[in-house]
Amino acid sequence: MKVVGKNVRKVDGIALVTGQPVFTLDVTPPGAVVGKILRSPHAHAEIVRIDTSKAEELPGVLCILHHGNVPRTPYTTAGQGWPEPSPYDSFLFDRKVRFVGDRVAAVAATSEEIADEALRLIEVEYRQLPAVLVPEEAIGPGAPVIHDEEESRGIHDPQHNVAAAIDIRVGDIERGFTESDVVVETTCEFPYVQHVPLESHCVVAYLDEEDRLVIRSATQVPFHVRRIVARALGVPLSRIRVIKPRIGGGFGTKQEIILEDVAAALALRTRRPVVMKYSRAEEFVAARTRHPMKIRIKLGAKRDGTIHAIEMDVLSNTGAYGTHSLTVLSNVGSKTLPLYNKAPHLWFHGKAVYTNLPVAGAYRGYGATQGYFALEVAVDELAEKLGMDPLKLRLANHIRAGETSPIFEKIGEGRAGKAQVVKSCALEECIREGAKRIGWKEKHGKKTSEGRWVHGVGMALSMQGSGITDIDMAAATIVMNEDGSFRLLVGATDLGTGSDTILAQIAAETLGVAVEAISVYSSDTDFTPFDTGAYASSTTYVSGGAVLRAAQEARRRILEVAAAILGEPPESLDLEEGHAVSRGTGKKVPLSEVGHRAMYVTDQRHIIATASFVAPESPPPFAAFFAEVAVDVETGVVRVVKFVAAADCGMPINPALAEGQLEGAIVQGIGHTLYEELLFSPRGRVRNPNLFDYRIPTAADVPDIEVVLIPSDEPTGPYGAKSIGEIGINGPAPAIANAIYDAIGVRLYRIPFTPERVLKALHGKSMG
Amino acid sequence: MKKTGPVEIVKPKDLGEAIAFVRKGGMPLAGGTDAFVRIRKGFWDPPFLVYIGELPELREVEIREGGAEVGAAVTHAELLRSEVPRRLPIFRLVLEKLGAPAIREMGTIGGNVANASPAGDTLIPLYLLEARVNLVGPDGERSLAIEEFVLGPGKTALREGELIVSFWIPFPEGDPVPYFHKVGRRRALYIAVLSLGALLWLEGDVIREMRLALGAVAPTVVRPREVEAKLRGRRLSHEDLEPLCAELSAATSSITDIRGPDWYRREAAGRLLLGLLRLREA
Repeated sequence: MKVVGKNVRKVDGIALVTGQPVFTLDVTPPGAVVGKILRSPHAHAEIVRIDTSKAEELPGVLCILHHGNVPRTPYTTAGQGWPEPSPYDSFLFDRKVRFVGDRVAAVAATSEEIADEALRLIEVEYRQLPAVLVPEEAIGPGAPVIHDEEESRGIHDPQHNVAAAIDIRVGDIERGFTESDVVVETTCEFPYVQHVPLESHCVVAYLDEEDRLVIRSATQVPFHVRRIVARALGVPLSRIRVIKPRIGGGFGTKQEIILEDVAAALALRTRRPVVMKYSRAEEFVAARTRHPMKIRIKLGAKRDGTIHAIEMDVLSNTGAYGTHSLTVLSNVGSKTLPLYNKAPHLWFHGKAVYTNLPVAGAYRGYGATQGYFALEVAVDELAEKLGMDPLKLRLANHIRAGETSPIFEKIGEGRAGKAQVVKSCALEECIREGAKRIGWKEKHGKKTSEGRWVHGVGMALSMQGSGITDIDMAAATIVMNEDGSFRLLVGATDLGTGSDTILAQIAAETLGVAVEAISVYSSDTDFTPFDTGAYASSTTYVSGGAVLRAAQEARRRILEVAAAILGEPPESLDLEEGHAVSRGTGKKVPLSEVGHRAMYVTDQRHIIATASFVAPESPPPFAAFFAEVAVDVETGVVRVVKFVAAADCGMPINPALAEGQLEGAIVQGIGHTLYEELLFSPRGRVRNPNLFDYRIPTAADVPDIEVVLIPSDEPTGPYGAKSIGEIGINGPAPAIANAIYDAIGVRLYRIPFTPERVLKALHGKSMG
Repeated sequence: MKKTGPVEIVKPKDLGEAIAFVRKGGMPLAGGTDAFVRIRKGFWDPPFLVYIGELPELREVEIREGGAEVGAAVTHAELLRSEVPRRLPIFRLVLEKLGAPAIREMGTIGGNVANASPAGDTLIPLYLLEARVNLVGPDGERSLAIEEFVLGPGKTALREGELIVSFWIPFPEGDPVPYFHKVGRRRALYIAVLSLGALLWLEGDVIREMRLALGAVAPTVVRPREVEAKLRGRRLSHEDLEPLCAELSAATSSITDIRGPDWYRREAAGRLLLGLLRLREA
């Protein structure tokens, strides 16, 4: 390997660090106006009357949209593949508001100040409805029905506020527990947490010279934006172009169409370019969150430590709309249960329910994060009850290469899945290497004190997937220039992850050139081929697969031309260092000559290759996480002293970028575990919609993080690669929870582990 | 959320003009680390701002006989770099935990005190050292003890047209051992959930004299003088300190806010006393 497996610098790195105008809002079209959204002050209410006359009289106000003057088409804001697994329960603007912050109206005005003033001048009369803020109450008797509209489609049970439900059985769970020697049962709770991307949601929408709608958006899913906006606005798909520039982070929240539809509607109505941007407060209230969950888990095991039965019972809160409700719920089981594939008896069941709270959606980890918190805390408890080292218990039960799990076939993307045998797995080495680096043998079960700080260690395992089987499809186009350089056009959506770089590496390796010979462009629905988008840990595996195929095809065409020049059969030629080289005679010709000849000289043709790749399966990456924590027994403050992650992402295409994904996910996971939680007033208003009161880790809070990549060779992946984007976020919550238990002998089941929760756990229920 | 601003800022040429502007309703502006955030969020709508951050009278740090005079517009970073922490090491302990470098470079001690937040970090050493606040206004100069100056959250004894010019921080007798513990979830850029500062005059491990100041557990910083009195003559030992934890808790009158529940502050405040045991190890 010349390029793959090397720490090549990010292809967009220089542009980013030198502040080039590469982001959505860095360039504004002339004549642009500002769009702003009026939001509901009530958790649940009917809009009785809306009077925009005063606002419309304000000079500079161009247009006001509300339920009375836009099409009423149900759709989902979830940017997923087709058929869309999320219910169609959203409207551009509705007659009803379902959470504090829900859309009521939108204004386009010539300045932000005028738009703000116009929002104040819109008179709305509400009839307040009883609101329900607790998932258990939402499905209880007499709860208000949040989605009582006729037009919605695909809601599991609207009358009882159930957006989605799942019930999967393998074997005989009752028998499984009866046959088990040891059974543990525990319930873990995950609160509302937010993605907090550096760049908030933003978009520019305008009509081009041919009157086509152009949407430049900070999105992870440009092709889904095009399809969903076409549906919501009733505009033919052919009349929409979506451009994705550089993105300032997404983590799943930009897999949602929450601003493009409004901006597009305002642009169509005003015929002016419309710029819209979420404030940080809007980002907290009206973007998306992780699905808060309560997960009850029951594990049964034989005396020798073989896990024999697993039940997982999930109550997921999807908030006011059901975006990703079914698929996130499914993933709680489908991404966790195969890890412990020795258990013949499984029961995975749960509901995703509506409440009058902010809307949950896709968030890095996508249900697996919540599932692993519960599963890995329960496994720790099981080990204790069995009197076994939790590391040994995990080693005895985890899945290996060549093995399968019935779950792969039972649970898919909102439907049945597909049987799959794990072809690559270095989890055992990950566990052993991670244990060595944290000092598991020396430290576990032997808490040490340094004054008021008590230290402990804990661990957790995780797997994820690489794309969505039979659904995620990516295409790539490689265009050869006459000087022997290439353009790589991908629909794949680099959102800061570095995917443009690793895709260039895959192309460069295949074409025998340096990365510098490849110019990557992502993505534009008019000019780059289709890609489902950057989610589900799919880009390296799925988009990378497409790039590999396109590059192989381009290579074949190059060799044809080179063969004619060299007078040797194409099969005897290789591409190396910018040349076609004969293995037999050593004769070679530079690619610049190949390109020039093909374009201008003989038998002219443009060497272009396009190829598609659809995920034939979803090979899981694996990881073992280890945390050492220090707990201040006087104040309950928890500090992570050291965090080790050993991960198998197949053959890493760019180890530095893969490690960066892991490190970033771990820091985000530590944020969930120790700091983050959206707080609500009794009426459903977010109390901390700002970075002053909703705390994420600062640089000073990042502990000593050690990540190590243990390669495996995935035969279905490009150059042996699997995914790495999400898995890291699954580790911190359970590893830290287990480490806290190791330190102070108290189990915590609800994150974040705030000082007051830790102190209360330490000193019993007498407090508070 | 309603936004305010833009707001007019005037820059007086001297202290006299500054007082005249403030008398006309202008609000003093120094580092702006708090003011601009509050204006931007719409929590504060001052008629106009008077920039006092560069007035020479407010910018000096002077070590004198018996104490230090610190100008109100001296930034936290400047104070940290000055002679003051060498003479009064409690300031080093506190200022190193205040905000983060950027905040420390801009924020001023006068601004921190004028905010009168019970969680204001610089109030801890000022209470411990029994500092005085030097004021100047239309009716001339006056000086108040810090405990008389701070009246409650956001409330001070400042009269109309008055400005804080400086703080007089007397050097304590002898060489007391400083102690500061700020509790928060994060390590940087955090407001104290609660804090405890102390000065101890020790003879061996016996407490000859001591002062305590608790932050963020009551409407103002608290000096629990009864607990201080009871600590005199005790040893720096778990047995001697533990019985007073409950009394220290009782000296608080906490509220529940977004950073923590009242019971936690009360409970943790008492336990912070045991942190003093670390001074014995040191």
